[in-house]
Amino acid sequence: MFLEFVEGPLWYFSVVVFVVGVLWRLVDVFRQPSRTDLSAARAGGVAGALRTIVTRSWTAKGFSRGATFHLVAGYMFHIGLFVLLIFAAPHVKFIEERILGFGWTPAPHWVFMVASDLAFAGILLLWLRRLMHPVMRKISTFDDHAAAILTFVVMLTGCLALLKSHDSLRAIHMLTVCLLMIYFPFSRLMHAFTFPISRAYTGAAMARKGVNA
Amino acid sequence: MSDHLSQSAIPTEPRRHGLRAWVRARLTRPLLALLAFVLIAPLVPYAAMYAERGNVPNPGTALWNEVRQRTGPIDADTQVRGVESNVLINQVGERWREFRSKMLVPAGAWLLLGTLAFLALFRTLRGTIPLEGGRSGQLVPRFSVNQRVVHWFAAILFVFLAVTGLVLLYGRFVLIPLLGPEGFSATAAAAKEGHNLFGPIFPFAVLAMLVLFARGNGFRWIDVKWFFKAGGLLKGHPASSGYYNGGQKSWFWMVLLFGIAISVSGLILDFGVFGQGREVMALAHVVHGGVAVVFIAASLGHIYIGTIGMEGAFESMSHGYVDANWAREHHDLWLAEMEAAGMVGVEPNALEEVKRHDNIDFKGFGSPGTKAVEG
Repeated sequence: MFLEFVEGPLWYFSVVVFVVGVLWRLVDVFRQPSRTDLSAARAGGVAGALRTIVTRSWTAKGFSRGATFHLVAGYMFHIGLFVLLIFAAPHVKFIEERILGFGWTPAPHWVFMVASDLAFAGILLLWLRRLMHPVMRKISTFDDHAAAILTFVVMLTGCLALLKSHDSLRAIHMLTVCLLMIYFPFSRLMHAFTFPISRAYTGAAMARKGVNA
Repeated sequence: MSDHLSQSAIPTEPRRHGLRAWVRARLTRPLLALLAFVLIAPLVPYAAMYAERGNVPNPGTALWNEVRQRTGPIDADTQVRGVESNVLINQVGERWREFRSKMLVPAGAWLLLGTLAFLALFRTLRGTIPLEGGRSGQLVPRFSVNQRVVHWFAAILFVFLAVTGLVLLYGRFVLIPLLGPEGFSATAAAAKEGHNLFGPIFPFAVLAMLVLFARGNGFRWIDVKWFFKAGGLLKGHPASSGYYNGGQKSWFWMVLLFGIAISVSGLILDFGVFGQGREVMALAHVVHGGVAVVFIAASLGHIYIGTIGMEGAFESMSHGYVDANWAREHHDLWLAEMEAAGMVGVEPNALEEVKRHDNIDFKGFGSPGTKAVEG
């Protein structure tokens, strides 16, 4: 009964909130007014935008020592989460049956284990660093902690339900997924969609000014 | 003469009858004896064994000994290719089951409950160990950001693995009465998956602990004195120590050694695809379960003294600072070095804290050297 509710009405409600919310946030970003640059552009903005999208994927020289922890733990978490989300066998089946109508070859079990270990270790380390580092602690908001904890709980409930032997475990996982999807558009989790926009905007603006940023 | 005639007059048996009689008379007994020998001779060894051992073994014993592969090397053959595919009945599994149900489960329960009872008794008698001199208001930096991150990373993993492991070991006895069979089944399934997924991360946490906490954890003569004074836990018997005391050093090495044992045995159990058979798996489980129970029991003491058992102790791992009086009462030699280095009474300024921790150079008893006071 509870599983039917979570996978039925609550799931559809969550999808609507997620899709509409994300679109609304993206439209809002593009509708932000920008000042007209009256100076002559020194270089093309598109090239700068594309370059910055790529180069911001690692730390700039001079910051590498202090940012190594974030770089390593960040990639551990994001790559692990991506593999779990897209290639975990239960997710591939769910996407095929409930969303797209087609699927793809899921990752073997050992890949799933490595990905989940990377993701769990990464998010734990990043969140603990946020709590323990005095500067990180001061600049962190409720949203940062809520997003980290909710994401962790979703991953955890998913892994606990891996055996697929009990509907109750699956229902708990689906419930947390729905909560995350509802929370997603109103949180900093939106960076999953806005990071290329942000990087491109900065890169294009700096390129027009002749700055290699 | 008449006798002769009279004897001749007696009708004699036909010749064939004479042969039969002769056979009967001469061969019956030997044949019966031979038959008896054939029947009895094979029983002689059993009779001898009976005489020696007092019982007669089942003639099927040899067969079942072969089937159960109790003696000698396994020489059974099969077309099925795989680890131990030529084993019909696993003997090690039975011994492992006996160990688990009759040794590990009850002994582990007694150890864990005994530890909890001891801590409860200690708390009743001693209460929270207070700061005798009160709070000085002067802070001393103790653990860096990286040390605290690694500590809590290992701690979270440890608690999760301990809880899920105990569910697998004792859930049948504790959770079924509370949750029912179905509820326990779901809990055990979740615990099993969680334990197997989080387990492989733990070795890396142990390695990180080794890297960040090894310095200053070598035993010295002063630690022996510390143990003789019961670590200063008894009133009126303070015990000197440096950056780490004897108890903390013992816990560090316990974490390291138990961590290695539990990680290696856990990986053998978790990844059963490298050709390890049941015998290796059973041995790994014995090591894993036995070490885990002792590890958990020891951690209860660590958790108690680091939280509610001692005033001012938790702050070192939560914020990285301790009060100077706490350092004086529990790590006096370390405090003396910190005072010499000008590291007592620092401001808890965030940016300065980062700078200071980046510059910490542990020497001597583990206190920061002069490098830390620059700027």
